[in-house]
Amino acid sequence: MTSLQNKVTELFENGTINLLIGFKEAIHKLPVPCFIDNVSQVEQLIFTPSCKGNLSVYLHKTEVKQAKKVGILANTATLRAIVQLVSENQLGDIEKTVITLNTNGELVVFATMDELEAYVQANFPELSEEDKKLLDQLNAMSRTERWQYWTEQFSACVKCYACRAVCPMCYCSSCTVEGNQPQWIKVSSETTGNLEWHTMRAMHLGGRCINCGECGRICPVGIPVHMLTVKMNQDIEAEFGAKTGFSVKNGYALNSFKPGDKEQFIK
Amino acid sequence: MEPKNQYIPYKMRIANIIEEAPLVQTYRLEFVDEKDAAQFSFKAGQFAEYGVFGEGESTFCIASSPTREGYLECTFRSSGRVTKALANCELNDIIGLRGPFGNTFPIEEWYGKNIVFITGGIGLPPLRCLIWNLLDQREKFGDITIYYGARTVNDLVYKEELEEWKNRSDVNLFLTVDPGGETPDWKGLVGFVPTILEQNPPKSENSVAIIAGPPILIKMGMPILGKNGFENNNIYTTLENRMKCGVGKCGHCTVGKTYVCKDGPVFTYDEVLNMPPEY
Amino acid sequence: MEIKNIKSTNIPAFFDQMIKSGKVVIAPVLKKSGKVFFEAVQSYDQVSTDYIQTGFSAKSVVFPKVEELFSFKKDDEGIEITNNLHTIPETVVWGLRPCDASAFNYLTEFFLKENPDTYFTARKEKTTLIAISCAKADNACFCTSVELNPGSTSGSDILLTAMGESVYIELITEKGKAAVETAASLFTPGEEKSKEEFLAKVTSVFSMDEVKVRIKTAYDSAEWKHASMGCFGCGACAFACPTCTCFDIQDEGTQDSGKRLRCWDACGFGLFTKHTSGHNPRTNQTERRRQRLMHKFKYSVENLGIVSCVGCGRCIRNCPAHLNIFENILSVTK
Ligand code: SF4
Ligand code: SF4
Ligand code: SF4
Ligand code: SF4
Ligand code: FES
Repeated sequence: MTSLQNKVTELFENGTINLLIGFKEAIHKLPVPCFIDNVSQVEQLIFTPSCKGNLSVYLHKTEVKQAKKVGILANTATLRAIVQLVSENQLGDIEKTVITLNTNGELVVFATMDELEAYVQANFPELSEEDKKLLDQLNAMSRTERWQYWTEQFSACVKCYACRAVCPMCYCSSCTVEGNQPQWIKVSSETTGNLEWHTMRAMHLGGRCINCGECGRICPVGIPVHMLTVKMNQDIEAEFGAKTGFSVKNGYALNSFKPGDKEQFIK
Repeated sequence: MEPKNQYIPYKMRIANIIEEAPLVQTYRLEFVDEKDAAQFSFKAGQFAEYGVFGEGESTFCIASSPTREGYLECTFRSSGRVTKALANCELNDIIGLRGPFGNTFPIEEWYGKNIVFITGGIGLPPLRCLIWNLLDQREKFGDITIYYGARTVNDLVYKEELEEWKNRSDVNLFLTVDPGGETPDWKGLVGFVPTILEQNPPKSENSVAIIAGPPILIKMGMPILGKNGFENNNIYTTLENRMKCGVGKCGHCTVGKTYVCKDGPVFTYDEVLNMPPEY
Repeated sequence: MEIKNIKSTNIPAFFDQMIKSGKVVIAPVLKKSGKVFFEAVQSYDQVSTDYIQTGFSAKSVVFPKVEELFSFKKDDEGIEITNNLHTIPETVVWGLRPCDASAFNYLTEFFLKENPDTYFTARKEKTTLIAISCAKADNACFCTSVELNPGSTSGSDILLTAMGESVYIELITEKGKAAVETAASLFTPGEEKSKEEFLAKVTSVFSMDEVKVRIKTAYDSAEWKHASMGCFGCGACAFACPTCTCFDIQDEGTQDSGKRLRCWDACGFGLFTKHTSGHNPRTNQTERRRQRLMHKFKYSVENLGIVSCVGCGRCIRNCPAHLNIFENILSVTK
């Protein structure tokens, strides 16, 4: 058994958790999420750098909430998501045990949210090189070019909603894109409606998105949809000094007011 | 001849509007095109897609009896985008209709038998078609008993017809409202339909029962009938899963391998027991 | 079956001749994202030859992601309803894989057997499928488990198999024969021979006969939960799948003029079965994913006698959670 498997076994045995959200290896060798509810399944568990998925999205699942005492394997993005979700009062009904691997490859189990927060702040992730490059490219474009770029990208979107489905911050029980009274956004997939859908989603996530990049990574069409919120986050951080998934007390920059906030938007 | 394009609706004119209950209305529809009227025929149990152009379509049964020719009636509660748009239509407006879809109640097999109807709320419209269909050939059937209930007195639909059935000596009507839904002058029963059914069980010999309404009523009602000696293949229901196409293509209505729209909506209890409980 | 050969260097000429003859040709194209998708091309230069499988299937040719059922316009006389079925062009799909081509057999059975679908019929009649057998496969491919193989001809009008300098051509249908007629001089008559050594090796992961028997009792398997808890309920698998046919019908425009469309939908979406009352017959993702898999391996067999998974592996490659359909079918039929 690996040290991870030993640790999880211990957590089950001493009653700390009764469900663990982790990864196992699928038959085609990629890491697939697994939900372990007893010690006999612990041996499947893996946690490697290829485990990129953001498991925190499962914390919204009814079956998970019902389990109450939930352990979760968290990469840095997942830790950030947990911080953000706590700041949005979303994880109140479960007792979470968060497990990560630190930069030395050692297992860390957080005893408190404060510890977790401190860890996230000390190990705050940077944008990946790839994303930095794309962001520079986008920033270098004129407005017209940028509009063209996104129009072309989103014309191919099929509205499979995988980007929303994997997003830990898209937890609304009823999403605006599906509201039909009135019908704000067309159901069919075509360029204008697709742009509306992604603009709407970006507006809901700017200042909340924790830059995990999952939505862009998993889009079956290959649209770098995460860049919309990455850019918005950057602007919001510059304007309000608020980083997402950084502090459990910070809340959401766009719906809180501080006397020092700039108010240029009023002008 | 090319097969008909099943997605192109007939145009129907709204010929009459009756307010049945809060948010519930009955529309009488007439074909705009005589040719359509001539070729259209349906049987009790079938349903249709009713569409407001620009808003979409909504599924409900045909609530009038095939024995009343020249028009169709539908009764609906306005709740979603389409039904709200439908409710906002006015007399003489033109709406779309696709259908009739689905299978039918095997009325001929029921000749000489007692018929028991059990339904609640907005579940009466699918049975109203059948009820009038049988009443229009009353001599062919034994006793006809109807159990019908709604949340409140106001929510009962077809109030005039209920009055008429109550006064007919050849119809046995158990009319009830949920506890708390009664008005001071309410003379009917008080209690949920399954409770009323348990307290006043219908006789099962030579009888057929038809149950329609919300899934919970079907799931509770069918076993009660079973306990009272009804054989599973003498209990019928009509299922109302979400539907879009009505012709077995869109996949929305499926229960396991069964397409409620084309294999149903009428099923016997036996058939229902053989499906996964996904309705 | 009629066999012909063509020099590989003559393929571009054949291809471009079809375009010249006025056909819309849909072929695999490498996109900026690094993924390969089918799209209409103007010349062979645009066509990708290096791909294991396209991101989405070719089903959109006969079942587009958005299909206009009709448009309507209100005027003083009433409402006028029109559709543009007659504008569907002659279309060639180039370079689809044998698994995808065989999916067209299922689609045809499904759309035409009962209540024939006018739109599908119109598109199918105008479509010619020129498939290319697979010389490469990846670990998501499992055609051999669903009784197909990298060189199967089922569903195709023509199947091309590259054999060194020359391409071996199987003309399976009359439509296929007609297609090579557009450039008849490029082809030479050939003889039937084995394609084996030119095909990818795809190991079978289960016996379809066993699965067919065991899946009959799989509905209540406890394994569904393990197989599906990770499912996010998106449409990535269904939209990419060559045999997923679910759709939604939606109106766009105003009450005075607009159109009625059918758009791809997916049984994995939480709202797919939800009643207006709020009641939802399939309450959780485990049930929804079970529906998708049972449809492929059980329900379509019961309804149409066809396993409606062709083993193309798209749902595996596209799944954000990396769920693997054949692993799951194995576990629930254990
Ligand atoms: S995952 Fe990609 S294709 Fe799907 S809705 Fe999001 S952007 Fe569109
Ligand atoms: S896109 Fe907006 S409304 Fe939809 S789930 Fe995400 S945050 Fe909620
Ligand atoms: S692609 Fe994966 S996550 Fe999305 S619905 Fe299909 S199985 Fe579920
Ligand atoms: S279910 Fe998956 S593997 Fe099977 S045909 Fe569909 S996409 Fe391909
Ligand atoms: S309503 Fe479309 S398949 Fe039944």
